[in-house]
Amino acid sequence: MTAVVALEAITTATRRRRSWTLVVGLVLFGLVLATAIVSLFWLPYDPADTAGSRLEPPSLAHWAGTDRLGRDLATQLMIGARIALAVGIGSVAIGAVIGITLGLVAAFAGRVLDDGVSAFLDILIAFPTLLLAMLIVAAQGASLWSAVLAIGLAMSAIIARLTRILAKRILALDYITASRTSGTGMWGIIWQHLLPNVWPTILVNLALQFGLSVIAEASLSYLGLGAPPPNSSWGRMLKEAEGTVLTAPIGAIAPGIAIVILVLGLNLIADGLRDIGDPLRRVSARAVPAPTTEGPR
Amino acid sequence: MTDNSPLLGVNGLTIRGGGRTLVDDLSLAIGRGERLGLIGESGSGKSLTALAIAGLLPTGLRAEGSLKLDGMQVIGARERDLRSLRGRASSTVFQEPLTALDPLMKLGRQLAEPLRRRAQRDGERMSRDTLLRVIHSSLTDVALPDPDRIANSYPHEVSGGQRQRVALAMALATNPLLLIADEPTTALDVTVQGEILDLLARVVAERQMALLFISHDLAVVSRVVDHVVVLKDGVAVERGPIAELLRSPEHEYTRSLVAGARAFDDALGRIS
Repeated sequence: MTAVVALEAITTATRRRRSWTLVVGLVLFGLVLATAIVSLFWLPYDPADTAGSRLEPPSLAHWAGTDRLGRDLATQLMIGARIALAVGIGSVAIGAVIGITLGLVAAFAGRVLDDGVSAFLDILIAFPTLLLAMLIVAAQGASLWSAVLAIGLAMSAIIARLTRILAKRILALDYITASRTSGTGMWGIIWQHLLPNVWPTILVNLALQFGLSVIAEASLSYLGLGAPPPNSSWGRMLKEAEGTVLTAPIGAIAPGIAIVILVLGLNLIADGLRDIGDPLRRVSARAVPAPTTEGPR
Repeated sequence: MTDNSPLLGVNGLTIRGGGRTLVDDLSLAIGRGERLGLIGESGSGKSLTALAIAGLLPTGLRAEGSLKLDGMQVIGARERDLRSLRGRASSTVFQEPLTALDPLMKLGRQLAEPLRRRAQRDGERMSRDTLLRVIHSSLTDVALPDPDRIANSYPHEVSGGQRQRVALAMALATNPLLLIADEPTTALDVTVQGEILDLLARVVAERQMALLFISHDLAVVSRVVDHVVVLKDGVAVERGPIAELLRSPEHEYTRSLVAGARAFDDALGRIS
C-alpha cells in the first residue's frame, strides 16, 4: 500500500523533474518486481521438480539451465526475486519505523536520554550484522522472518542516527522557533515541519539501505541463516552452485546478475531521489512567472 | 487581571548559561498598545530576552527573576500553559526571513497554520473557503501584491522583502496583544527596510498592538517606537522616551549609538 503511494509519488516527481538515473533505476527495480509478481501466479516448473537432466546449460526448455538436482534455475530465480524483495521491504519497514521513532526521541530528549540513545546506536552500528543475525537465528531458528528482523534492526540504528542529526539541525532553525512562538505544539512541529524536512534525505537513505539489505539477505542465505529450503533465495543458489561453478558457471552467474540488477536499480533510484529531493528545486506550478509587464525582481 | 498592570512586566530578569551572565537584572514594562525599543549590539542579550518572553530559551540557559505576560508568570511555567499563551499574548518576527519560513511548505499553507489555530482558540469553525479568504486578506494587509501567487509559492520563489511581509502576516495571524520584532529589517536592503518599518508601524497602530522592537540600529528603532531601553553586555544602561534620548544621551554607549545614527542619516541626506 505505502509502496504504491511511494511509487506514485516517485512517478509524479519524475514527470515534473526528469532524472535519468531515477528512470533507469525504476526500470531495473520494476523488472525484478514484475518477476516477483509473476512468480506468485505462474512458474515455468515446480520448484521441487527434479525431472530435468542435471546441470543442463540454458535452453528453450530451461532458460537458465538446471542445478545439480535437475531443478529449473529460472524457476528458482523467480522465487528468489520474491524473497529478496520481501526481505528488503520488510527490513526497510522495520528499519524506518524503529529508526525514525528512535531518532526523533533522541532529538527531542534531554541530554541524558539523548546521550544514552546515541551510545546504544553506536554500539548497534559497530555490531556486525552477521553476528546479530546469528544470535537471532539461534534464538528463533533460521527463517525468512529472522533474516528480516536482523537486517531491519541493524538498519534501524543507521536510520536513527541519521534522523537524530537531521532533526536536531532542523529544530535549531528559525522557522521552528517562529512556529513555536505562535503556539504550535510538539506534534504540530513534528508533522508539519520536521518530518517533511527530514524525509527527502531519509528516503534516499532507505533506498540505499534497501540495496544493502538485498546483499545482506544473500549473504545470510549463503551462510544458511536465511530462508530455509524449499525457498530458493539468490544467496542460497550461489551457495549451491559453489561446487559446480567451473563446470556449469550459469548456476552462479544467474543469481549473481539478478542481485546486481536489483541492487544497481535501488542505488540508481537513491541517486535519482537525491537529485530531485533538493528542496530548493521544488517549484510550485503557479510560481512560474507568467509573461507580465513586471520587470525582473 | 487589573487594568493598570502592564501587558508585559519584566522584573530583574537574569539569564545565565555556560557560567556566564548573559542578561543581568533587566527590568522593563510594556502597556497595552505601547511601543518599546530594545537596543544593543549583537551579543548584548536582546534576542535572548525575546526568547525568554516566549518561554523558548535554548536548553542550557536559565532565566531568573519575574517575567509576566498578560498576567501570567512565564519563568518556570509548564510547557502546556505556555503554549496557550504563545500566539494569543505574543508572537515574534525574526531577523532572517529565509530561515524563518519552512522551505518545503507553500507560503499559504504556512500562514494557514496560525490562522486556523486562532480560529480554534476563538471557537470559530473555519471552512476552506473562509480560510482561503482570510489568507488572501492577511497577505493584502501586509501590502503584498498578487496575494494568490504569493500564497502558492515556496519561500525561495519570492523576494526577501516579500518573505518578511509573509513572516509578519504569520506573526499577526494569531492577533497577539504583543508583537515582538527581533531585528526584522536587518537582513533587508535599505529601501525595503523603510517599507517594512512603515508597514510595521501602521499595522501595530491599526490593531492597537503593543510592540517590542529589537534592533542594533537606533535610526531604525526611532522610526517605530516611543520609548527605548539601551542594553549593553546584558545590562540596561539607559532608558527613556526616544526623542529625549536622541537629544541628550547620557551614557557613553548611547552617545556612540546616536552619533552613529546621525552620521548614517547625514550620509543618506547627502544621497537624496
